[in-house]
Amino acid sequence: MEEFFQQLTNGLAVGGIYALIALGYTMVYGVLKLINFAHGDLFTIGAYLGLTLLVSMGLFDKIGPLPAVILLAVMVMILVAIIGAILERVAYRPLRQSPRLSAVVSALGASIFFQNAIMAIYSPKFLVYPHDILPKAAINVLGMDIPIMRIIMFMTSLVLMAALYFFIQKTKIGTAIRAAAIDQGAAKLMGINVDRVIMLVFCIGPALGGAAGLMVGLYYGQINFSMGWMFGLKAFTAAILGGIGNIPGAMVGGLLLGVIEAMGAAYISIAWKDAIAFCVLILILIVRPTGLLGERVAEKV
Amino acid sequence: MKRKLCTLGFLTLALVALTLGSAWAETIRIGLMCPLTGSWASEGQDMKQIVELLAAETNKAGGINGNQVEIVVEDDGGDPRQAALAATRLTTKEISAVIGTYGSSVTEASQNIYAESGILQVATGSTAIRLSEKSLPLFFRTCPRDDEQGTVAAKTLGDLGYGKIAILHDNTSYAKGLADEAKSLLEAAGKTIAFYDALTPGERDYNAILTKLKSAAPDVIFFTGYYPEAGMLLRQKMEMGWNVPMMGGDATNNPDLVKIAGNQAAEGFMFLSPPVPADLDTPEAKAFMDAYKAAYGNAPGSVWAVLAGDAYRVIAEAIAQTKETSSEKLAAYLQKEMKDFSGLTGKISFNEKGDRVGDLYRVYKVDAAGAFVLQP
Repeated sequence: MEEFFQQLTNGLAVGGIYALIALGYTMVYGVLKLINFAHGDLFTIGAYLGLTLLVSMGLFDKIGPLPAVILLAVMVMILVAIIGAILERVAYRPLRQSPRLSAVVSALGASIFFQNAIMAIYSPKFLVYPHDILPKAAINVLGMDIPIMRIIMFMTSLVLMAALYFFIQKTKIGTAIRAAAIDQGAAKLMGINVDRVIMLVFCIGPALGGAAGLMVGLYYGQINFSMGWMFGLKAFTAAILGGIGNIPGAMVGGLLLGVIEAMGAAYISIAWKDAIAFCVLILILIVRPTGLLGERVAEKV
Repeated sequence: MKRKLCTLGFLTLALVALTLGSAWAETIRIGLMCPLTGSWASEGQDMKQIVELLAAETNKAGGINGNQVEIVVEDDGGDPRQAALAATRLTTKEISAVIGTYGSSVTEASQNIYAESGILQVATGSTAIRLSEKSLPLFFRTCPRDDEQGTVAAKTLGDLGYGKIAILHDNTSYAKGLADEAKSLLEAAGKTIAFYDALTPGERDYNAILTKLKSAAPDVIFFTGYYPEAGMLLRQKMEMGWNVPMMGGDATNNPDLVKIAGNQAAEGFMFLSPPVPADLDTPEAKAFMDAYKAAYGNAPGSVWAVLAGDAYRVIAEAIAQTKETSSEKLAAYLQKEMKDFSGLTGKISFNEKGDRVGDLYRVYKVDAAGAFVLQP
C-alpha cells in the first residue's frame, strides 16, 4: 500500500508538469483550432532561459532561494510570452485565412526552427542547472519520504492552473477569450479585438510552458535541446485525454496521464509504460471521443 | 621535343622505381588507417601519433631484425565510404599488415578489401561482435568485444558479493545486449535477478522506476545504458534517500555523469571500462606514457588510441619472431603462438576468431570529489 501511495505521488509530480504544458496546447486549440507543435520547444526555451538568467545574474547568492525562484519564474514567463507572441505574429497570423493544414505545417516548421536554434546557441550537449541551490529536504507523510521541492512544484502548478482558470472565467479579458473561442466573427461584431485576444492566448500558453520548463530545469537539473519533444508529446496527449480546448480538461488529463504512467510502470512493466498510457488514451477516446471533459462544458477555450 | 620529354619521363620513372624497389627490400611497411578528419578526428590523430612514436622507437633501436619500419598512413574520415577508398589505396602500397580502425562500421567497410588482398588487419576500437564472426582468418583486434563486457560485469558483481541483482537497460541494442548477456551469466552463476526491465531514455523523472526497484530490494543495481540516464537515476535515488550501490557499463564513462548527478549522488557509483591510459600499470605502459608525454607534451586522450599502439606492437612482435612479412605467417603466429604478450593495455593473446582474450575491462569508482578512480 505504501508503494501505491509512493507511485501516486510520483505520478502526480510528473502529471503536474504535463498539465501545465497541456494548457498551452489546449488554449491555442480552443481559440484557433490549431495544434501549436512549437509549444514543446517553447517549454525547452523556458528551461534554457532560466539557466542563462540563473547563472548570469547570480540571483541565489544575492536575494536567497525563494525570492530568486519567484523573480526567475517571472522573468522566464515574460520572455517566453514575448517569444510566443512573436511566433504567433510571424508564423501563424499570416496564415489565419489559409487552410488549416498550412498553419499545421508552419507550426512544425517553427518547432524545427526553435529546436535547431537552441542547439546552435547552447550546443547539443546536456546542460546542468547548478546543484545545491534548492533545499533537498524531504518530509515524511504516511511513512513516505517526499522531497519538499516536489510538493512545492506540484503546488506551483496547481496555483498557476487555478489562476488561469479564474482569469478565464471571472475577468473581462477572460470573457473576451471565451467569446473568441466560441465564434470569432460574432466576437468581432461585439467589439472584441480578436487579433489581440489571440496574441494574448499566445502569451499565456507559452508563459505557462516556460514556467514548466524552468521547474523541470530547477528540479531535475539536466536539460538538452530535444527535451521539448518528449514533454510536448505527453502534454499533447494529456490535452486530448482531458478534451482538447477545455482548460479543466487539460489539468485533469495531465494529472491522470502522469498517474497512469506511474501505475503502469509499477504494476505492469516499466518498458511498456508509454504503451500502457497510450492504450488507456485510446480506450477513453473510444468511449468518449471528445475526451474526458470534452462535452460536459459546452464552451471551449 | 615531345619525344625527349617522354624519354626523360621514362627515365625518371625507372629511377624512382629502382630507388623504391631497393627501399622495399630493406623497409617493413605497415599501414595505418585512422580517422584523421571527421567527428572522431581527435582519436585518429592520437592513433597516428602513438603508432609513429612507437615506430620511431623501433627504428632508433635498430629496427625489426635490422629492417627499418615505415608507417603508411591513410585517413578514413570516420566514414565507411572513405574507409573503402583508403583501404584500396593501402592495398597497393606493399604493406605487410594494416592497423585500424576506430569505428566498427568503418572497419567493416574495409574488412573484405584487406581480406581479398591477403593483408593482415588489426583493428583497434571496433567492438561490434559481428566483425569477428565472418571467418576472416587475417582479421584481429586489440579491443574487447561487446559481449566481453557482459562476462566481466557478471564476474565483478559476483566478486563484490552481491547475491540479489537488479538489471536495468534502456532498450538500445547495445544496452539490451549487455543486459541480456549479464543476466544469463548471473543466473548461470546462481545469482538472483530481482528485477529486469528497461527505462525510456530521454525522460527526466525516473522516480516511478526507482520506487519499483526499491520494492524489489536488490543488493545492487546494474544499469547498462548511457550516462545521462545514469546521472538522473543516481540523483533521484539519493533524493529518495535510498543508498543502494549502482554499477554501470562503459557507456556511463563520461565526466558529464558527475555533473548531472552531482558529486554527492555520484560518489560510490561504479562502472566498467577499459582502463584510461594514465591507469595502465605494466612497465611497457609506463615507459610508453613517459615517451608520449616527452614527445607530445600531454597524456593520450583515450584508451582506444593506445590500443592502436598495441596493434603496432603485436605486428612488430610477430615480424620479429617469425622473421617473415607475409600476412598468413604473421596471422598464424598471432593466433597460435602469441601468448600473454605484454602490451600497453595488459596481456595480449588472440583466440581463433582473432578476438583478444582476457579481461581488459576494469572497475572504476567515483570518489567524493567526482573523480573516476581505478579499483584494484
